[in-house]
Amino acid sequence: MSSISGLIFSAVFFFALNSFCSATARDLNVCNECEYKTIADALLASEDGDRIIVKSGEYKEHDLAINKEISLIGEGRPEINAELKGAGIVINRSNVTVSGFKIRNVDVNYLSEPAGVRVEYSDNCIIRNNEFENTFFAVYLAGAKKCEVLENKIAGLARTESSSGNGIHLWKCRELNISGNEISGHRDGIYLEFVSSSFIDGNFSNKNLRYGLHFMFSDSNSYSQNTFETNGAGVAVMYSKFIIMKGNTFRNNWGESSYGLLLKELYDGLLEGNLFYKNTAGIHLEGSNRIEMIGNDFIENGWALNALGNSYDNKILNNNFINNTFDISSNASKSNNTYSGNYWDKYKGYDLNRDGTGDIPYRPVSLFSMILEKSPESIIMLRSIIVDLLDAVERIVPSVIPETLIDEKPSFQKRT
Amino acid sequence: MLNIILITALMLMGCSKEISPIDYGKDQCAHCRMTIVDKKYGSEIVTSKGKVFKFDAAECTINYILDNKAEESDLEMILVTDLAHPENFIDARTASFLITPKLRSPMGENISSFPDKETAMKFQSEFGGELYDWNGLKQLLGSR
Repeated sequence: MSSISGLIFSAVFFFALNSFCSATARDLNVCNECEYKTIADALLASEDGDRIIVKSGEYKEHDLAINKEISLIGEGRPEINAELKGAGIVINRSNVTVSGFKIRNVDVNYLSEPAGVRVEYSDNCIIRNNEFENTFFAVYLAGAKKCEVLENKIAGLARTESSSGNGIHLWKCRELNISGNEISGHRDGIYLEFVSSSFIDGNFSNKNLRYGLHFMFSDSNSYSQNTFETNGAGVAVMYSKFIIMKGNTFRNNWGESSYGLLLKELYDGLLEGNLFYKNTAGIHLEGSNRIEMIGNDFIENGWALNALGNSYDNKILNNNFINNTFDISSNASKSNNTYSGNYWDKYKGYDLNRDGTGDIPYRPVSLFSMILEKSPESIIMLRSIIVDLLDAVERIVPSVIPETLIDEKPSFQKRT
Repeated sequence: MLNIILITALMLMGCSKEISPIDYGKDQCAHCRMTIVDKKYGSEIVTSKGKVFKFDAAECTINYILDNKAEESDLEMILVTDLAHPENFIDARTASFLITPKLRSPMGENISSFPDKETAMKFQSEFGGELYDWNGLKQLLGSR
């Protein structure tokens, strides 16, 4: 009996405690006529669980430190103007939300790397629906876990690559969700260093000076359904393992030594259903092993795939190669990768038994692309009759191009 | 006569072993392929034949030397950037180096370079970390 009454007592006590707690969570309003005139004052007065509601208007504040578990919410897109005096918001506590703001004019400092919103060693943060303009770094997460960066619009005024920071900079983080952001005018759109188990989905990264997205030493991540357009180069995945890349678009990354996707020392990856359209090189593959490239479209690139000889055990299956100047180029005399079931628009074979597969194998490396690897200046000969002749002879009597670089079962139809 | 002087001058120019400044944002690192952007960390090798290799960080330069088993005697100049004066090259062989996680270099080894030990120690007192000279740094990276 006494145990039951004890149980009831503790239940009632908990209920009371709960309602007591929620009663103390307050809304603190910030505006010209409100109780709090500045965001800094409201932050000082706030306690864990509070919401700070900032009404529209311009707030000339900087280095706003959030040390409590609160939500900082902008209504009518209030503007935080740091006036090049320092950083915007700095979060030092877990369970903090920042949404609905426009943050402008963060100072440039190469040593302290100030940002529009910076998160230091905190978990479960949400940075959502903010606009960033002329912030040296826009969003900067260091040592963060389980954070979400969603639907932000980030515009840098990067004049030169070196005087700008990254749009979304992630360092030593895990289990992040970076989705639906628009990033332009920064050094790298999204930059990951020592980041794991994270998702980067549905972002639009364009007109960034170096890369749209950049992985360094970051394992077990996935990026899907993003568009990378007109960046210095599209995406660079470097010194990483286990990366999934699905349904992305790499478009218009033109320029000397530019590419849609650079894979440099990536081990174990899946690249599926992506579109590479109008890049100098669709993919540049170097020192990368065990990557499966399945069902991608390579359309109107200079080189669709530049596979250097130090890449092993990669599988290139069921892709479409259409209107590329060169399909595959390689500097190796041997290929250690598997090509099968791809559609090559330059394939001149036939399909007498009508099984959808060409009856003779296809060699996707042209003799001229091999010559070009050795002496890039010979590009001046492109489309000359000599080159056509050389390629024709090589097709009939293969002698120079890698013997094993061959698609035994070229598809006769485009994969749709 | 004028022609001969001109031609000789051109030939001499062709053979010179000159430092070529890094075009930040355009040049690629010869080791890691990354576009070189951080003006505090650019590095360069000029070989005794006058060939120039550019790098985005001192760690890439060292790894490139180690990977290619290059002899130091074949390298006319090895240059790193003075952290306190971006875009200014200093001689790597006489430079002092500081490794501290508080100064993050582009390739994750966090190596900063300074023209002399005094300056390096000044930064060490502010940012912490370990001091190295060129040979010590090469040994450290070679042992990985």
